[in-house]
Amino acid sequence: MSALTQSTPGAAQSDAAPEKELRPPSYWPFVVPALVVVLAIIIFPWVFTIWMSLNEWKVGSSTTFVGFSNYLRLTGDPRFIEAIGHTLAYTALSVLLPLVLGTFAAVVFHQKFPGRGFLRGIFIMPMMATPVAIALVWTMMFHPQLGVLNYLLSLVGIPAQLWVFHPATVIPSLVLVETWQWTPLVMLIVLGGLAAIPTEPYESAQIDGASIWQVFRFITLPLIMPFLFIAGMIRMIDAVKSFDIIFAITQGGPGSASETINIYLYSVAFSYYDLGYGSAIAVVFFLLIVLLAAVMLYARQRMLWTEIASGT
Amino acid sequence: MVNHKISRRTLLTGTAAASALSLTGLPAHAEVNWKKYAGTKLEVILAKGPRGDNLQKYVKEFTELTGIQVESEQIPEQQQRQKVVIELTSGRPSFDVVHLSYHVQKRQFEKAGWLADMTHFMKDPALTAPDLVESDFSAAGLQYAKNDKGQMLSLPWSVDYFILYYNKELFEKKGVAVPKTLDEMAAAAEKLTDPKEGTYGFVGRGLRNANMAMWSNFFLDYGGEFLDTKGNILTDGPEAIAATKLYQTLLTKSAPPGVAGFNWMESMASFTQGRSAMWIDGVGWAPPLEDPAASRVVGKVGYTVVPAGPKGQYSSTYGDGIGIAAASKNKEAAYLLCQWVVSKTQGARLLQAGGGVPFRNSILGDPEVQKGVKTKEWLQSVIDSGKISKLGLPVVIPVAEFRDIVGAAITATLSGADPAAELKKANDQYRPILERSEKA
Amino acid sequence: MTPRQIIGKIGLWFSVFVIVSPAILFFLWMASLSLKFEIDNAAYPPVFIPEHIAWKNYADVLASNRFLTYFINSLIVTGSATLLALLVGVPAGYGIARMAAHKSAIVILIARITPGLSYLIPLFLMFQWLGLLGTLVPQIIIHLVVTVPIVIWIMIGYFETTPMELEEAALIDGATRWQVFRHVALPIAKPGIAVAFILAVIFSWNNFVFGIVLAGRETRTLPVAVYNMISFDQLSWGPLAAAALIVTLPVLLLTVFAQRQIVAGLTAGAVKGG
Repeated sequence: MSALTQSTPGAAQSDAAPEKELRPPSYWPFVVPALVVVLAIIIFPWVFTIWMSLNEWKVGSSTTFVGFSNYLRLTGDPRFIEAIGHTLAYTALSVLLPLVLGTFAAVVFHQKFPGRGFLRGIFIMPMMATPVAIALVWTMMFHPQLGVLNYLLSLVGIPAQLWVFHPATVIPSLVLVETWQWTPLVMLIVLGGLAAIPTEPYESAQIDGASIWQVFRFITLPLIMPFLFIAGMIRMIDAVKSFDIIFAITQGGPGSASETINIYLYSVAFSYYDLGYGSAIAVVFFLLIVLLAAVMLYARQRMLWTEIASGT
Repeated sequence: MVNHKISRRTLLTGTAAASALSLTGLPAHAEVNWKKYAGTKLEVILAKGPRGDNLQKYVKEFTELTGIQVESEQIPEQQQRQKVVIELTSGRPSFDVVHLSYHVQKRQFEKAGWLADMTHFMKDPALTAPDLVESDFSAAGLQYAKNDKGQMLSLPWSVDYFILYYNKELFEKKGVAVPKTLDEMAAAAEKLTDPKEGTYGFVGRGLRNANMAMWSNFFLDYGGEFLDTKGNILTDGPEAIAATKLYQTLLTKSAPPGVAGFNWMESMASFTQGRSAMWIDGVGWAPPLEDPAASRVVGKVGYTVVPAGPKGQYSSTYGDGIGIAAASKNKEAAYLLCQWVVSKTQGARLLQAGGGVPFRNSILGDPEVQKGVKTKEWLQSVIDSGKISKLGLPVVIPVAEFRDIVGAAITATLSGADPAAELKKANDQYRPILERSEKA
Repeated sequence: MTPRQIIGKIGLWFSVFVIVSPAILFFLWMASLSLKFEIDNAAYPPVFIPEHIAWKNYADVLASNRFLTYFINSLIVTGSATLLALLVGVPAGYGIARMAAHKSAIVILIARITPGLSYLIPLFLMFQWLGLLGTLVPQIIIHLVVTVPIVIWIMIGYFETTPMELEEAALIDGATRWQVFRHVALPIAKPGIAVAFILAVIFSWNNFVFGIVLAGRETRTLPVAVYNMISFDQLSWGPLAAAALIVTLPVLLLTVFAQRQIVAGLTAGAVKGG
C-alpha cells in the first residue's frame, strides 16, 4: 500500500528522494530475509498456478498441456459470468456502506466523551473476532423461523424476512454481516485522517456560523478524502476476496445467488478437483482485482485533476 | 444417550455373544489369524456422522482382538471428501483406511485407482471370517463396491434409504391420512399447512446440491432415469419436469419460509420443533428425533416409505463404504479393520442405534438383531425401503458438478423460475462437463 | 451549558449508542445462545436469559473435541508465525522506510491481493514432497502469508515517523547500520512492534482457509475445529455457539485490553499508507 501513498499528496515524504541518492542500497540486508520469505511463499505458488492454468488437470487423471483453452472455457461459462456479477454487486455494497458508516463513526469517536476508549474497543471487536465463529452465529440469527433478527423486526412491525434464504435478499444480508464486521476498519483509518486535520479551518468556520453539516461537507470531507480513498481500496480488495463469511453462511446459495468468484473457485478446485480450470480462475480473479484497483486509482487521479482545475 | 444404554444391554444379553463368536471365528473355523498383524498402526479417515461414531466408540474391541492400533478422525462430510481426494492425488495419503460416499465418489475413485483390490483377501480364509461372503451384501451394495471388472474395491458399510417421517399428532389434529401417493402427499401437505400457527405440511432439502438427494426420489417415482444407454444425461425430460413441479409446489406452498436454504439440518430442526408435519430424508435421523433433549416430537413420529409416483415407488438410495488406500503399506491389517467395521457385531450396533443400515442381509434379517431395535416402525420402514431401493444419483465422475448445477436449477424454481426452462439450462451447462470427464 | 450544547450532547450519546449497539447486542446474543439448551435456543419468541443455564455446552466442548490440543496448536502456529514475521518483518520495514524503496512493497501488495485459495494446492504439494505434512510446520509457514505483510506494513509506517537525527548522529560517530538499527531505531520502535505483534496474532489466529486443507487430526487449529463441530446428527446451536465463543474469546479480550495500541497502530498505519 505504500506504493499508493506515493500518489496521494501530503502523505509522501519529500525528503525521501535525496536521501536515496546520498546513501545507496546499504539498507538492502535488512530487507533481503523478508523478501526471500515472501518470494518463496508467494512466487512459487504463483508460478505453479500459472503453469497449472495452461494444463488440463483433473485430480485422478494425468495432466495435458492445453495452452489457453482453460481461459477460453471461462468466457463461455455462465456460472463464472454470473459469479462476476455477484462479486461486483457484493463488493460495491461492501465498500460503500462501511465507508459511509465508518466515516460517521469516526466523526463520533473523534469527539471527546467519557468511556470513549472502552466503547471504541467494543466497536472494533467485530473486525477482530474470528470470522468463522461470527458467521456461525449470524447463520443462527438469520434463521427465518427461529432467528432473532425476524423477532426484532416483528417488534417494530416489519414482516419476517427470508434473509440469506432468498435469492433477492441473500447478497444484501451477507453485506450486512460484512458491513458489521468491517465498518470499524474504515472508522480507524478515517480517525487517523481526522487526527491529522489542523484546527484552524474549524475555528474560522465556527466564527462564520457554519452548520455541522456544512463544516463536515466543506472542511472535513475534502481533508479526509485521501484516507477515505485508502480505506475504500483496502475494503475493495478484502470484499472481492471475501470467503469465510459467505462460505460459512450460504456456501454460495440459495441456488447460486451468492456465488462469488472466490466461492466458485473453491468449488472448482476443491469440490470438482478441476485444478487446471481452477488455476485459470485464480489468475483471472487476480487480474480482475488489479483492474479494479487501477480503476479506483484512475478515478482518484481524475478527481484530483478536476479539483485542481476548478481551483478547490 | 438412552439409546446407548439400551443397545448396550441388548448386546450383552443377546446378539453380542453370538456375533462376537462369529467375528472371532468359532473354534471350528480357527483359521483366521487375527493376531498376525499385531503391533501395526492404522490411520483411518472418517466422515462425521453416526457411522464414524459407531467405529470410534468400539474400536478398542478391535485392538483387543488383533493387537492393531487404530488412530481415527471424523471430519464433516464435505471437507472429508475434499481432503481425502487431495491426499490421494498426492500419492502419499496420511491414512490407510478411508470412509467413502459411494454416491459421490465411486467412479472417481475407481478411475483414479486409489483403492486397493480386496478380492483376493476375501477369498483368503486366513484373513476372512467364514460368515463374510459376497452374497451376503445386498445388490445395491455390490453394485457400489465392485468395479466393471468385478473387483471388490471396498466393503459396503451402510446404506441410506430415503424415507418419509411424519408427525402423528399434526396428522390427527387435521384428520389427515398418511399419504400413499405423491399426489396424496401434496394434498395432505396443503391441508396440514397453517402459517398462522407456524406449522407447515412439508419440509425437506431446498439447498442447492443437497436437494438433489430428495428431488431424485420424486424423479425416480415419475419414472426418471439419469442416463440413457449412451451415457447422456436425461434430467430435462418430462419426468424431471414433473418431479420438479411437485418439488416446487411442495416447497413453495406447504413448506416453512426460507426452505430454499435448508439442508437436512434445518429441515430436521423444523421437524423436531413440531413445525413441519412431513419430512423426507435419509433413514439415519431417528436417534435425534427420539431424543428428548433435542426434540419436541419424541414418540409422535411416524416412519414410512416414500409415497408412490405415477410410474412406480422407489426409495432413492445412497451408501457408504470402507476401503483401503492403494498406497497403504498395511493392506492386510487394514483389511482386518474393514472386515470388523462391517462385521455382524458392528452392523447390529449401527442398526440398533438407528445410525445406519448395514448392507449385509444376515444382519438386517436377523430376528435377534431386529429385537434390539427400539423403534419398530422405523425398522419396518427400513426393511420396506430396501425392497424398493434404487440409486439416487447418476454413477458418473462429475457428481459434485451435477448436484451443484441441477440442484441450483431446482432451487431457482422455489423463487418462481419455470421448471422446464431451468432444467433445460442446467442440462445444457452440465452436458459438456460430463462429456469432457468421460472422454478424459 | 447552552441548549445547543445540550442537544449536541444528546445527539452525541445517541450516535454512540447507535454505533456501538450492533456489536454489543451481537456478542450478548452469542453468549446467550451458548448458555441455552436446545429447547430454549429453538424457542420462538426467542429467550434471552434462560431459566436453566446450560454450562454443559461449554463442558461438552472442552471435553469432547480435544479442545486443549487444538488450543495449543493454535498457540504454536500463531505464536511461531508471528515471531518469525517479526524477525524478518521489523528489519524489512526499517530498510524499506529508510531506503524509501516503495517498489519492494509492491510484493506485499501482491500478497494481499492474491486469493488465499491459490496458495493452497501448490503449497500442499510442496509440503507433501518435503514430507512435512502431519506436522505444524506447513501451517506455520503458510500463516506467514498473513503475518509478514502486516508486520512490514505497520513497521514501514512506524519507522517513517521516527526521527532521523539520532540515527544520523550515530552514523557519523562511526556506528554500523546494523548497530544503529539495533541500538537506536529498535528501542524507539517498541510501541510499533507491539502493535504489529497484536495485529499479526489476531489475523493469524482467525485464519480458517489454510487449516481446512493443511490441518490433520493432530494439527488442527481452533477455527477449523469449530467448523468441524457442525455436527452431523444434531442441530446443536448451544455447543456450537459455545465453541465459537471460546475460539474468539482470546482475540476479543486482546482487542479490549489493547484497544489503545490497536487504534494507534491502525490509524498510524493508515497515515503512512494503510
